[in-house]
Amino acid sequence: MSFRTKLLLVVLLTIFASVSVVAYGVTHYTQAAFESMDAERTEALVAQFKKEFAQRGDEIARQAKNVADANFTEKMAIDLSHPNADLSLYFRDANGAAQDHGLDFAEFVKYDGVLVSSAQYPARVGYKNDWVTSVKEWNDTPAFLRKEELSDGVALSLTVVRTNSTVADKSLYVVAGRRMDQNFLASLVLPAGMRALIYTNLEPTFSAASLLADKIDAEQAERFAPLVEQLQKQPQPMVRTIEWTRDPADAETFHAIPLMGRSNELLGVFFVGSSRKELVLLTRQILKIAAAVAAAALLIGMLVSFWVSARITKPVEELAEGARRVAGGRWDTRIDVHGNDEIGQLAEAFNEMTQTLEAQKERLVQTERVAAWRELARRLAHELRNPLFPMQITVENLQKARQLDAKQFLEVFHESTATLRAELANLNTIVSRFSDFSKMPAPQFVRVNVNEALRNAVRLFEPQFNEVGKPTITPELFLTEPLPDIDADPDLLHRAFQNLVLNALDAMPAGGTLTLKTSENDGNVRIEVADTGKGLTPEECSRLFTPYYTTKLQGTGLGLAIVQSVVSDHHGTISVTSDEGRGTAFRIDLPQRQAGHAAPAREAVTEPNSTPPTMAAASG
Amino acid sequence: MMRIASRLLALISGMLMIAIGARPATSPRRGGILRVEMRVAAVSLDPREWKSGTMEASTDEKLGALVFDRLVTLDNYGRFQPQLATEWLHDAAFKRWQFSLRTNVKFSNGTALNAADVVAALQALLPEGQQISAVGNNVVIQSAGALPDLLEELASGRFFVYRVQPDGTLMGTGPFFVGEPAGDSNSAVSTSGVGKTTHLRFRANEDTWSGRPFVDAIEVTLGVLPLRQLFDLQLGKADLVELSPELVRRATQENLRVWSSAPVNFYGLRFDDAQVVAADPKVREAVSLSLDRQTMANVLLQRQAEPASALLPQWLSGYAFLFTMETNIERAKEIRATLPANVAAGAEPLRLRVDAPGDLAKLLGERVAVNARQATISVQVVNRAAPKSANTATTASSDSASGVHLFAWHYSSLSPRVELESMVTAFKFGDSREAAVSSSDPEQLYAREKKLLEERRVLPLVALPEYVGLSQNVRDWMPARWGEWHLADVWLDIPEPVATIGNANSAETPQTQPSVAPPGAKP
Repeated sequence: MSFRTKLLLVVLLTIFASVSVVAYGVTHYTQAAFESMDAERTEALVAQFKKEFAQRGDEIARQAKNVADANFTEKMAIDLSHPNADLSLYFRDANGAAQDHGLDFAEFVKYDGVLVSSAQYPARVGYKNDWVTSVKEWNDTPAFLRKEELSDGVALSLTVVRTNSTVADKSLYVVAGRRMDQNFLASLVLPAGMRALIYTNLEPTFSAASLLADKIDAEQAERFAPLVEQLQKQPQPMVRTIEWTRDPADAETFHAIPLMGRSNELLGVFFVGSSRKELVLLTRQILKIAAAVAAAALLIGMLVSFWVSARITKPVEELAEGARRVAGGRWDTRIDVHGNDEIGQLAEAFNEMTQTLEAQKERLVQTERVAAWRELARRLAHELRNPLFPMQITVENLQKARQLDAKQFLEVFHESTATLRAELANLNTIVSRFSDFSKMPAPQFVRVNVNEALRNAVRLFEPQFNEVGKPTITPELFLTEPLPDIDADPDLLHRAFQNLVLNALDAMPAGGTLTLKTSENDGNVRIEVADTGKGLTPEECSRLFTPYYTTKLQGTGLGLAIVQSVVSDHHGTISVTSDEGRGTAFRIDLPQRQAGHAAPAREAVTEPNSTPPTMAAASG
Repeated sequence: MMRIASRLLALISGMLMIAIGARPATSPRRGGILRVEMRVAAVSLDPREWKSGTMEASTDEKLGALVFDRLVTLDNYGRFQPQLATEWLHDAAFKRWQFSLRTNVKFSNGTALNAADVVAALQALLPEGQQISAVGNNVVIQSAGALPDLLEELASGRFFVYRVQPDGTLMGTGPFFVGEPAGDSNSAVSTSGVGKTTHLRFRANEDTWSGRPFVDAIEVTLGVLPLRQLFDLQLGKADLVELSPELVRRATQENLRVWSSAPVNFYGLRFDDAQVVAADPKVREAVSLSLDRQTMANVLLQRQAEPASALLPQWLSGYAFLFTMETNIERAKEIRATLPANVAAGAEPLRLRVDAPGDLAKLLGERVAVNARQATISVQVVNRAAPKSANTATTASSDSASGVHLFAWHYSSLSPRVELESMVTAFKFGDSREAAVSSSDPEQLYAREKKLLEERRVLPLVALPEYVGLSQNVRDWMPARWGEWHLADVWLDIPEPVATIGNANSAETPQTQPSVAPPGAKP
């Protein structure tokens, strides 16, 4: 990933993260504000419910007091204080009282608890209502919730009891009440998005029908069952959210307020429902705006950062390109210097560095050239000194032989001339070898099977692998088949392989294993030649391909130089790895095709007989 | 017994006082329209359609008596009086009865009544086994069994004489015939949209054998709610209204004229095997012991009813006082405790279906449930048309099988035997294999009823009279104590010249008028 891309991404990510943080913050604080507002509204509604509850209770208390103080109630109290009073006279009176005072429930209870008249359940007349007589003073008791038994079930009632004490010690009780139902809920003023429900907890198990509310079906009502069951176990205010559908906007948060009876029993639950639609829609709106802002910011940021990064990265890219050119060997590379900032200073430093490198390289080349000449001179001197010394002795012997008789002189003369001739031949050979190296031919590319070339090279040395009196060398070939043909000069390739094998044989005077491998590697053909000799030092490795450098006593130092020359002429690479004491391995990578050469059809690789044996002898 | 006798005496005295002593005696006047309001929404004037024992049949009979006559009738002193039959005689075995028909009796269309008409009418009404035939101007009723109470049977209920006209309508020989309603000359029936009331007008039959009635017409409004009837009576919009028992005390307190019949309406419980729990005799006994009939009659019905301990009332059977119904909650609880597990521990309560119409029946049903609950028996009341409300979780669907039914029965026959067997047949009390009582012997009837009550498949609750509210204008109101009105004898004491029906020149030709309500009078 380029620096510019990275820079671009960093800028974009920064913008995105900033917008996200702002959106989150706005959403979070909006949500908190909404929740706070919702809580306030719920609190207000609960307060309104309590107020309405109290007002309704006061109203019922007033009506109950009016009934208790009415003349007919006084008359009833007096009549009923008599023994064997006729209850039938008052059987319908509770009904009339309920109708006259707008009550849902009205009952008259005698001083002994006997129900005299009942508007809501007349069939119970004559039975005792002991709970009424269990309290001594009812007139100051506020309204309370009560489970009202009816002929067709039960109902939740807001009840008040008042007494008529016209007859001392024989009070007549007036039990008045109103049904806690949807009419009660309808009296509450509800803010938009809120609703109130009452669950009348009068059945032993949850009953959907007991949930009083507008527009709620049985299926929805059933969703309150867990909440009601929890309240039945632990009657205390709680908050739950019910998700009506998968859409969070349809969710509703319910605040449940338990409604307790006089004996602290749970008789009902008041639910205040608050729709989350407004909040969810607001959140969605914020997120939409945030997304739009983020998109716009990203687009603008992308354009700006693209322009900025282009300005920032252009000198860096030039530097990188210059560095690549230097790495490719173009030491004369220079880059333009823009400004005087860090990048400009870096460009100046780069130019100075390449300038210095170029100068040093020049000096190094010159040094190497001198060193090479010196080495050549040393080798030449060494090579030439070997035949010259016997020639000098022979000439000196020949001069001394002038004092001998003719026969002896002739004998010495013949021996000396033979020696001189032989040493001159040696000199000639040495000169020829140097001449051959200087006259390496340009490769003639044809299609060559590398495996075959390798086998031919190995086959040449087969007699030496098992030479009597010498340690055995075991050749091992791991040749990949099929291996693609390459464009190569078969003769030069043969010479190179021959030198490598010879070099390996020389490295294993005590015997060992010669390993040859071929493989296809990334479009190239790879050849590996390894021995199990004593190996080379790193210093030796670095100088191994220098012409006339040898680690052997007998060698011209041209064998591996020839190999490198052949590989280089085939646009390949050669490398050497060596572990001291474990052997040395050469790796050659040759391209399959030579650029600009339409190689002729594959040439049968045969063992070239014309290979000068001197090449093999000279390798090392 | 003394108490019952004193009550009867008081009742008769009261009626006499109403009839003759309440206001200064004046000569009866002819004319005027008697305005009657009734609770039922529709009536049938075809005796063949009436179902014995139903509350509706009571109204049908009252209005039927305006149009039709019977062969004989029973007066308030228990004497049979001739109507269409002037004489009757029977054989020693009471198997053959011969009735001599009154001559010169005409139907409302002016055609003469003959024996064939009587035979045709009664043949459709008499029970199986009784044959009727015409012999000259006589009709003969024969049966394989003795018919000692045939006169009681013929003097009550649906045994009216009528003639079926070619168009299927019926006409009678009674003091009235069905005339056109006010403002509508084409139909005898009109329906008002307000409160869905129906108006029927009965016009005086000028040529009736018993003499023209005093009033010109009777206008009957059907489907009027009880309280509305009371208001209309108070406001002078009605002359005669049916009073529901719960309004009697109020009407009395407001000094309205109130008349009550003998207890002719009976409320009871009947058990059937639709529920396992109801089929258990111990459950029935426990329920029976839990019932507090005194409170039902004296408190819930405000002393306008009598606790019933027999199926037939005392005035009809004469032996009802021999039956008693015990109330014993503790005993009921003990029995409840001994019930087998499948009955006692079942989650299903005993369902009581209120078959009888009206708030009164509902109130009684609820009281039965409250009483039973005292004996730890769970009873669920199912009304005929249970309202569907949010708080009716404990009210069973009216479609559920009910083991107990609260029913109402109107005594329509003056024969206790016929009445008892009608009740048994209608509700299938007792063992169906047991033969019906053929004799009117009180001992046999008592034994039959005792056996039925001991089985506890039917439990009497209360018996109620019928109450009528009367305006001060209504004179000579002399109904039968078993509830039959005699409106032909009633006259209106209106000082002003009373309105006459129709135009002066609209002297009715009864032949052209329909004699009964056309189809549609009763849905």
